[in-house]
Amino acid sequence: MSTRDLVLVALFAAIIVALGLVPPFTLGFIPVPITAQSLGVMLAGCILGARRGAAAVLLVLLLVVIGLPVLSGGRGGLAVFVGPTAGYLAGWVAGAFVTGLIAERLVRETQPELAQFLGFLAAAIVGGIGVVYLFGIAWLSYSSGKAFMEIAMASLIFIPGDLIKAFIAMLAGRAVLAGYPLLPART
Amino acid sequence: MLTGLDIAGDTPLHRASARLKLILLFLAAVALFLVHSPWALAAAAIIAVGLYASTGIAPGEAVRRVRFVLFTVLLVAVANYIFHSLDDALAVLFRLGALVLLAAAVTATTTISAFMDEITRLLRPLERFGFVRAADVSLAVGLVLRFVPEILARYGDIREAHRARGLRVRPLGVLVPLIILTLKDADTIAMAIDARAFRRQ
Repeated sequence: MSTRDLVLVALFAAIIVALGLVPPFTLGFIPVPITAQSLGVMLAGCILGARRGAAAVLLVLLLVVIGLPVLSGGRGGLAVFVGPTAGYLAGWVAGAFVTGLIAERLVRETQPELAQFLGFLAAAIVGGIGVVYLFGIAWLSYSSGKAFMEIAMASLIFIPGDLIKAFIAMLAGRAVLAGYPLLPART
Repeated sequence: MLTGLDIAGDTPLHRASARLKLILLFLAAVALFLVHSPWALAAAAIIAVGLYASTGIAPGEAVRRVRFVLFTVLLVAVANYIFHSLDDALAVLFRLGALVLLAAAVTATTTISAFMDEITRLLRPLERFGFVRAADVSLAVGLVLRFVPEILARYGDIREAHRARGLRVRPLGVLVPLIILTLKDADTIAMAIDARAFRRQ
């Protein structure tokens, strides 16, 4: 990793931390807060690509592990990694990677606007929602005893909110690509 | 602005090495998932409460730190009670509750530098294969801590710029300039790091 890549990763991790300081809101009776931080995960992949995007998210989680309250609502420490929602955190890393992988393959700077929008939207939905939920629900089911089907179904309530975030990630990803392109191209 | 979650003190947990605490936490997690009796798990939860209290953390702060995670544990337990049995609900409640409190106790008694030392040591085998450099990880952590206040100040500036022009502050209108302005600094920062030969390549 070049020094520039290292700095980009650190700066993006700092952006994700800053997004956590915007107050979160919890939807209904479901134990997962809607935060701008999961938007940061989609953005990391869309803007920095697979490798650097996943590294930025991993760096945020490292800060959580060493005891800095950098998750939304000032949460942090090892406790969040043993709670029922820990799987979503692990899913963030894989989610940012897959988002970046898809964006790198689908999006080109020379494409028309609409193709770029669709590429980013697909990346954010598959990586930022699909992969994150895969990890999140897997751990939720394992850790939550026998009621795993019910709990897995209940967590789907967050999908609409996450679709809105994927849409924002698409718009922001395209705007950053036009203003300051960083996304590597992959064939 | 960003301060760690460790509490100054000289309790047995403070004196234990970070590695020992992490290994014990891992073993406790494995053991708690192997036990299914609610009574045994309740005993474990009581021990965990005792250990967390023994760190010398102020009661209000102790509750504030774990209340969100414990709330999610409670919801999962309630779902188990509604759809299955009280025994299942209590087992989940005490198992995850104990684990959350033990983890919080480790966090409260381990300094950031002790954690970083442990992570550096864990990275050493990876370093040998050229995957990652431990010094880079510390540098990246330092950079994040340095730039979070900067980004928050910039966030405030962009919002004010919107207001001054009578524009409504929307998430996208703030997010895009914030990201572009922040990432544009990368070249200058990278040059400054290389000019000082911090990475010694």
